[in-house]
Amino acid sequence: MLSLLAVMLTGCSGSSERSGKNTGKIELTYWAAPNPQEIDLAEVLVKKWNKLHPDIFVRMQPLPVNRSTEEVLMAAIAARTTPDVCSNIWPGSVPEYARDGALVRLSSFPDFDSLASTRVGMNYMEQFRSADSNFYQIPWKANPLMMIYNKALFKKAGIGTPPLTYSEFLADARKLTYSSRNDGVIDHWMGYRDIRPVWWQRFFDFFALYKAASYGKAFTKNGQVVADTQAVREVFGFFAKCFKHDYFPRTVFSYDPFLEGVVATEFVGPWTISYIRSNYGGRLNFGIAPIPVPDGHVGPVDTYGDHKCMVIFSTTKHPKASWEFMKFLLSEKADLDLLEIASQLPVRKDLLTTKEFAGFFNDHPDLKLFAEEAPYAHEVDQTPDQKEIFDAISQEFEKCSVYNVVGPSKATRELVRNVKVLLDWDE
Amino acid sequence: MKKTLSAVLKYFFLTAFAVGFLYPFLWMLSGSFKPDFDVMKLGLFSSHFTLFNYDLVFGRIPILRAFLNSLIVAMSVTATVIVFGSMVGYALAKIKWKGAGTLTVFLLFTMTLPFQLTLIPLYTMVVKFGITDNLLGLILPNMLTAVSVIMFRQFFVTIPDSLIEAARIDGCGELRVIFNVVVPLSKPAVVTVGIITFLTSWNDVLWPLIVIRNRYLMTLPQLITVFVLGGQAESHLGAELAASVLLAVPILVIYSFFQRYFIQSFVSSGVKG
Amino acid sequence: MKRTGKIGLALSTPYILYALTFVVFPLFFSVYLIFHRWDGMSTPTWIGLKNVARLVNDELFYQSILNTLLFLVINIPLQIFLALIFAVGLNSIKFLRGFFRAVYFMPVVVSGVVVTIVWLQLYSYDNGILNNLLTMVGLPRVAWLVSPSMAMPSIALMATWKNVGLYTVLFLAGLQGIPAEFYEAATIDGASFARKFLRITVPLLGPTMTLVVILSTINGFSLFVEPFVMTGGGPLNATLSSVLYIYNQAFSFGHLGYASALGFVFAVIILLAVLVQRRVLETE
Repeated sequence: MLSLLAVMLTGCSGSSERSGKNTGKIELTYWAAPNPQEIDLAEVLVKKWNKLHPDIFVRMQPLPVNRSTEEVLMAAIAARTTPDVCSNIWPGSVPEYARDGALVRLSSFPDFDSLASTRVGMNYMEQFRSADSNFYQIPWKANPLMMIYNKALFKKAGIGTPPLTYSEFLADARKLTYSSRNDGVIDHWMGYRDIRPVWWQRFFDFFALYKAASYGKAFTKNGQVVADTQAVREVFGFFAKCFKHDYFPRTVFSYDPFLEGVVATEFVGPWTISYIRSNYGGRLNFGIAPIPVPDGHVGPVDTYGDHKCMVIFSTTKHPKASWEFMKFLLSEKADLDLLEIASQLPVRKDLLTTKEFAGFFNDHPDLKLFAEEAPYAHEVDQTPDQKEIFDAISQEFEKCSVYNVVGPSKATRELVRNVKVLLDWDE
Repeated sequence: MKKTLSAVLKYFFLTAFAVGFLYPFLWMLSGSFKPDFDVMKLGLFSSHFTLFNYDLVFGRIPILRAFLNSLIVAMSVTATVIVFGSMVGYALAKIKWKGAGTLTVFLLFTMTLPFQLTLIPLYTMVVKFGITDNLLGLILPNMLTAVSVIMFRQFFVTIPDSLIEAARIDGCGELRVIFNVVVPLSKPAVVTVGIITFLTSWNDVLWPLIVIRNRYLMTLPQLITVFVLGGQAESHLGAELAASVLLAVPILVIYSFFQRYFIQSFVSSGVKG
Repeated sequence: MKRTGKIGLALSTPYILYALTFVVFPLFFSVYLIFHRWDGMSTPTWIGLKNVARLVNDELFYQSILNTLLFLVINIPLQIFLALIFAVGLNSIKFLRGFFRAVYFMPVVVSGVVVTIVWLQLYSYDNGILNNLLTMVGLPRVAWLVSPSMAMPSIALMATWKNVGLYTVLFLAGLQGIPAEFYEAATIDGASFARKFLRITVPLLGPTMTLVVILSTINGFSLFVEPFVMTGGGPLNATLSSVLYIYNQAFSFGHLGYASALGFVFAVIILLAVLVQRRVLETE
């Protein structure tokens, strides 16, 4: 009765603990992202691993779901209940985890450098380097942000090609924002962004466009604000025009307006493409283009990469075994599974040149476009307090871009000042 | 004539507001059986009756498990509050000892403390005890309330001492006096404390959001909040409504049978607390 | 005497243990945290008065207080007004009184999450039921939750809908405590209904009124699920409530020390507000 109660009170963890009775065998816990595709993927990969390595048993658990992964991990670190390996780490949280000694220094493994340079490439790796010049994370997958557009709506408005610059975007927006019943109530829009002041929503509008406008400049570095303020102003101003003229509605939809065909464009990562393919099939005729850039932009379009990284937590009793398992998850074969099961892009410099993946990209031309964008994908800075910095961005974005109560120049000044306060606070 | 007119007006007015209170619930219930494109319509009946929304909810989230968790937590909390609350209430009402006055003052003092004050420290306690992601983390910090003790005390004072003396002469120990004599005589107080405690626990969201991260240990309102906010409903409006129905129905069913007790409990706890 | 002392203490032990662990210790710990920076993971570091200095300059802190005040200014009068009407109405009828009372009380027992999810849809700007009704009668749509000036009033309106039943039954209980002779005497003197209401009903409901004001105030400062689910505190922080702000600082940004300082100050404000209300309402 008591043990029954104990199981009731602590959930399923009790039962799995008891399964490790075979002595001498190493057991690892691996936390994967909790969405169905990635759970499927993790199950496949772990099964393969356990077959190949009878001496190191890996137990996969989906990350406990809450509002955000970060909240879960913060609680787990505080309670010292972190897993050995986790593959769903947002790079913005790594500075804090590392500072609190929660992570194993990956660059202490002798073969880390060779893996990082052959898989990711050292140039790309730089944005994941911690302030103490070590690596605590390795990027696993990326979701570079691009723009999808509804071809039918564009065609109806007489527009042949998707907009590339702000002026083109705004010009097309004039035609694609309208009242379909001609009663003055606008029911079709150029685009849509979740306007709620949730910090991470700003990755998918402000930050991506900032990276594009600034050619990939950092925002903060070594406790200083180093942002390209010209680019910040332009992005704030661009969205301010979008909301001011109702090209983007100031509302929160209870459904996905792009899928329902009432907005013409949306900024998305490759995961949305597979979602549309499986849920909307041929009903939605869409195209993919880079996100808009300021007029006069030259060269490829930088964007936000929405990376997820792998780490080993310092609570592990088996760092070596964890590292071996991580290398397995980062292998070419595992990456092919990542593509095929979860339709997500591994962070590899040879993504489009390796023969292994060629077949997949032939079958998935949409995802190939994202793969081509991948080298220009960026991540948030490796400085602490990213959440608060993005909250500060969210505040100014709301004031300036969504509700137009301050101008872009003032919003930029305020943002720089507020971020400075946050950085100083951390000294 | 004037009298009937005013009566008609009165009933018209009361009925209009009754519709205002009932309609949102009925709309929620009917919306949970409609496909998405019909949900936002004013009418309660749709020609496209569907169970899709419930399928989605049951398929996506461990809702039965959450129901069970909520039940375990609310029942445990209610039980401990009644058992321990009546013990302390009895000690304050019927036993003459030096600490009684001090303790009563202390109880009244803690009742004035807003929960905002201790929210964060309480969370750190739960972390220290290692009972995050554990239903004990929801039960232990709520296992007693000052209000319940005071309410029991107020009620026990009205019980004649002679009854208690008689029980003692029969050889009852104090615990037996409490649970065999005093508590059975105090049904209104037990019902009031029981209903208020159970409802407070059942409907709480903030504390579970803080303490529980594992979805299999989440309480029903927490799981549904996370379901709606976390995007697992994938913007299926009907599914959000279906989840709300599942959260509301257990309480509403009990309420429809015992509404008199519910209302009485709130009135007496409001007036006394 | 000594024996009863032991029994009293023994019976009170559960509460004493409980209070020491979950009331007294957290109380002291909250003071300790005010002077520390702590992300909940590492060990707390002493930072003196930095949290307090930050709080004094924190625009969002003041904003959250103003938001709560706006909420209360709308919620309390509206609630008292409606609850009084409902109570007087219910008190004057016999047939179906229990039914109406039960219906008006229904939102009180239902989880705030349910109410919030349903009202989120009712308030939807594009296709919500409320705006559909407005456009049906030719009125313009209202940006209930998306306009910075309307969002908090909308939440206050919803909270009124949820809680007015409780205050109705409290007033009703109060009304039933007023002796019928008072009204009979006034009727003989030829007093009108309005006069009787203002001269007899309202003054005699004084204590209930105080209770309603205080309960609503505490309720207003506890606002959490509503903005958490409906608006996330926006637009332009117009619905950022004190508890939501504490929650964000503690569990989104990992500033447990600062969140604790906020909690402390909010608690003091609530206590002061309740004290002042008691004073004012009880002398009136």
